[in-house]
Amino acid sequence: MGGLDVRMRGVACRHGRVEAVADVDLEIAAGERVALTGTNGSGKTTLLRAVLGLHRQVSGSILVGGRGTGSAAEWAWRRRSCAWIPQKPAAGRFPLLGDELLASGGAPAEAAEAARELGVGTLLGRPLHTLSGGQLQRMYLARAIGAVAAGAEVLLADEPTAALDFGGQEEAADVLAALPVTLVVVTHDRALAQRCDRVLEMAAGRLREVA
Amino acid sequence: MILAGALASAGLGELLGLPPVQRAGFALLLAAVGLPVVGVVIVGLDIMPVRFAMMHVALLGIAIGLLTGLDPMLCALVACALAGAGVAPLARTPDGLSGAMGLLMSLAIAAALLVLAVSGVNASGAFALLWGSILSVGTADLVVLGALAVLVPLLLWWRRREVALLLYDRELAQCSGVPVRALTAVLLVLVAVAVAGAIKLTGALLVDALTLLPALAARRLGTSLRSITLWAVGIGVAVNLTGFLVALRLDWPPGPVLVLTAGALVLAVHLVPERSISTWCAPASDSLPSSH
Repeated sequence: MGGLDVRMRGVACRHGRVEAVADVDLEIAAGERVALTGTNGSGKTTLLRAVLGLHRQVSGSILVGGRGTGSAAEWAWRRRSCAWIPQKPAAGRFPLLGDELLASGGAPAEAAEAARELGVGTLLGRPLHTLSGGQLQRMYLARAIGAVAAGAEVLLADEPTAALDFGGQEEAADVLAALPVTLVVVTHDRALAQRCDRVLEMAAGRLREVA
Repeated sequence: MILAGALASAGLGELLGLPPVQRAGFALLLAAVGLPVVGVVIVGLDIMPVRFAMMHVALLGIAIGLLTGLDPMLCALVACALAGAGVAPLARTPDGLSGAMGLLMSLAIAAALLVLAVSGVNASGAFALLWGSILSVGTADLVVLGALAVLVPLLLWWRRREVALLLYDRELAQCSGVPVRALTAVLLVLVAVAVAGAIKLTGALLVDALTLLPALAARRLGTSLRSITLWAVGIGVAVNLTGFLVALRLDWPPGPVLVLTAGALVLAVHLVPERSISTWCAPASDSLPSSH
């Protein structure tokens, strides 16, 4: 089993004056699968984005594979080693084709193969804004599988099955749980949470272990 | 004046034999290659007010040039390049840039008026330096337009993957290893300098016909950065040649005729129902119905 360990110490994230994440200590072993649950607005997405440096007001330390993010090169390494499935992958402001999205993960051929297996292989030439929410979510999943093939050893997935039908949720959960990576997944989906080694719950920015 | 007299009395064939008319036609053709690509970037970054902002920043540059005795146009271009690079950090939030353009416009016009007042230079004289005309382009202007026509499409081709991702979603681009800060800054400097240069060469009104309008029509017709860029250049060339010939034939000023031609095309493209556009543009294998 591949994967890198993730260590958080005293992590706090603010949105202006609002403290979205407070005092989070978390140790995730290499290859472990962790589900993050909790009510809307409890800070799950913010915590995930902080790992990738997408949230600006972060204090405390976040190490992936024992490495911090002091320099631009270290950030580049962090973003290569942590694949990301954004929450509600909205189609962007400007058109992008399906295969351009898949190629951005770093391994176009593997991502295209994954897209075929997920049933969206015929949509690669289509602009993303013409896809349905579920199709787009499958595309992002395929991109993440490509990123893992390209060397990412952590997958940060933010509600990766929220837009899928029941059959799709089961299928995506199987695919996610089988990846040889450390998986941190924000989810309200029981099928996906059941496939994880640990389930953590966030409430008002704080983290506690459930199972 | 001589030119106007000649235009009034000559037929279209004779007009096309006049060197200033030939130069203007050639300038428009060069502009039609480089500037619509700049327009695609403007639409993609959602910075439509950039032309107004750059007009005022250029005026500030001219004012500083007149005050210090340096070449005013050079100062204008440098001021625009600096302003472009200066607003780049504001691209972090989705609405950051379009708001920044408005702020830039107000600050620049205030600073320009202050510098002009302090230096005692006539403001309308400074403004006059900004208004070019397509019928008065010189060889140096042609070189600038030619350089834009080569450099702008080349840069976009060289970095097409990164630019496509950046225009689609900045955060996704960042997580895909795109140097978003540097690329945004380069694109903004390019847009700022191209727009400022084009205002000088063709007049402010024509800049819209050459940059924004082809890009707006192309945004509707194309489905990717590549196809939108190709549509924009194609529309730019077609509109410029048609508009220029019509303007010559009817002996009307080229600027407004070109803007109206391009504007009519944008309207026409937006009136075409979206479904028929996707049937023209989608490859046959992709025309499967989607399960929306």
